[in-house]
Amino acid sequence: MISAQQLTKRFGSLTAVESVEFQVGRGEILGFIGPNGAGKTTTMRMLTGFLPATEGRAVVAGHDVFDEPMQVRRKVGYLPETPPLYRELTIGAYLRFVSEIRGIPRGDRVRRIGQVMDEVGLAGWEDRILGSLSKGYRQRVGLAQAIIHDPPVLILDEPTSGLDPAQVAGMRDFVRRLAESRTVILSTHILPEVERLCSRVVIISKGRIVADDSLDGLRRHAGGGVRYRIELRDSDLLAIPALVGALAQVDQVIPGPADDGFAVLDVKAPDDPRTAIARLATQKGWMIRAMERHIPSLEEAFLAIVGAER
Amino acid sequence: MLVAWAIFKKELRVYFVSPLAYVFLGVFLLLAGLFFYLGVTMTGEASLRVMLGNLSVSLLFLLPLLTMRHFADERRSGTYELMMTAPVPLWSLLLGKWAACLALCVVLLLGTALFPAILAYYGDPDWGIMATSYVGLFLVCAAFVAAGLFSSSLTDEPVAAGLIGVVILLPFWVAGTAAELVETDWLRTVFRHVSFLAQIEPFSRGVIDSGAVAWFVLFTFGFLFLTWRSVESRRWR
Repeated sequence: MISAQQLTKRFGSLTAVESVEFQVGRGEILGFIGPNGAGKTTTMRMLTGFLPATEGRAVVAGHDVFDEPMQVRRKVGYLPETPPLYRELTIGAYLRFVSEIRGIPRGDRVRRIGQVMDEVGLAGWEDRILGSLSKGYRQRVGLAQAIIHDPPVLILDEPTSGLDPAQVAGMRDFVRRLAESRTVILSTHILPEVERLCSRVVIISKGRIVADDSLDGLRRHAGGGVRYRIELRDSDLLAIPALVGALAQVDQVIPGPADDGFAVLDVKAPDDPRTAIARLATQKGWMIRAMERHIPSLEEAFLAIVGAER
Repeated sequence: MLVAWAIFKKELRVYFVSPLAYVFLGVFLLLAGLFFYLGVTMTGEASLRVMLGNLSVSLLFLLPLLTMRHFADERRSGTYELMMTAPVPLWSLLLGKWAACLALCVVLLLGTALFPAILAYYGDPDWGIMATSYVGLFLVCAAFVAAGLFSSSLTDEPVAAGLIGVVILLPFWVAGTAAELVETDWLRTVFRHVSFLAQIEPFSRGVIDSGAVAWFVLFTFGFLFLTWRSVESRRWR
């Protein structure tokens, strides 16, 4: 549904985004993450056609963003970083205006506006002035504006920034519901959000894509991958690492400092080696205190990838 | 066209739900009242000649204040991003904004209808001259609003946009005075053609001069075209 091909944006001598390339399939929620100033907003603006790319092209919902901007605009719902609101208008007047410029037929407008306001939790708020709304409610109106024409593609730039925890949870449920029938790109720097929502993650740093993987893949490959912490005791502590390392299932053993008479091992293995280690321990008569699997969080993976770039 | 209509309605709504339109109406009518009083007492004519001439000069300073927020505000508040990512052709955005400002001007002009009424009560004004004078003022509004929109498209700072608007319009006023001062014949002709006061002069005599109408139409479209180019070119920076 969305395809970025060698997208590059330069502002004068500054290269904000360089040769960015990724695809998003129908029904996918793509998490677009990166440190502040990495080029997330610039990339999203190029996908919506708001900013023309210096080089490369973007195809959204089957239309080239540059050659057929109007077709793309019709099929994309976009929530910019700051919700695009006219402070002076009421929520109702604003949504009526958006539905008019979005070309929603006159007869459908009232029904559609009511439906969208219900969906984002604004029912009964028609007469509130936009300028007087709190950040959370502005964000809701921003979202209502983005989905009012029922677009197949949604581009959300930090939809949860500035929301309180309850609102963040609400927004998350809402985005998940939206994504059932749509393609979504979601930029954020709140990683737990991505972990709960997205199936795939693209990490951008300094204008370049540094990772494009599924959540599982990212965790497995970055930040040292899955590791096991094993604690064993025997009369001869020093012999343990070598014996465990000799197991066929184990790639690497890094012995840590002994703790309370137990050898602490940091074990790396492609598949879970714990039954094999337990069997070995039983044979040798070792005592087992702990066998823990540690899957890196997205945060660890992210820091490992972005940190390595720095 | 529907989109332009939607933008037209939105802009007018923004004007009338904020104090701006009312402050404008108040200031404009205050000035009009002053000019009307001075005109009638000084000339003793049952006409709006003095008032309309002075009002058109006041518009030169007032209208850029009315238009200055258009593009500047949209860009600052982020609504520009909505405009540029919704299926809104640029021309309908310009047309909607221009027509909304002009509609507000018509409201201002209608507000001055009180003065002809007073003249009619106490004297016997020439309705033909009155009508053409208003046509002239309308054309001045259309032209100045277009120039004001252009200045608004140049900067993100509304106040700067307002000032630039005045600066853009000033030469068209000053040219009138310059025409009186210069000795060279051809230069005087040039200045006279540039001056908007010289262009509305026929209207205050009851004449609808096709050359003058063309001048205002050209002025208006010229600046709308420049605005279009300016908005378009800013996308690339």
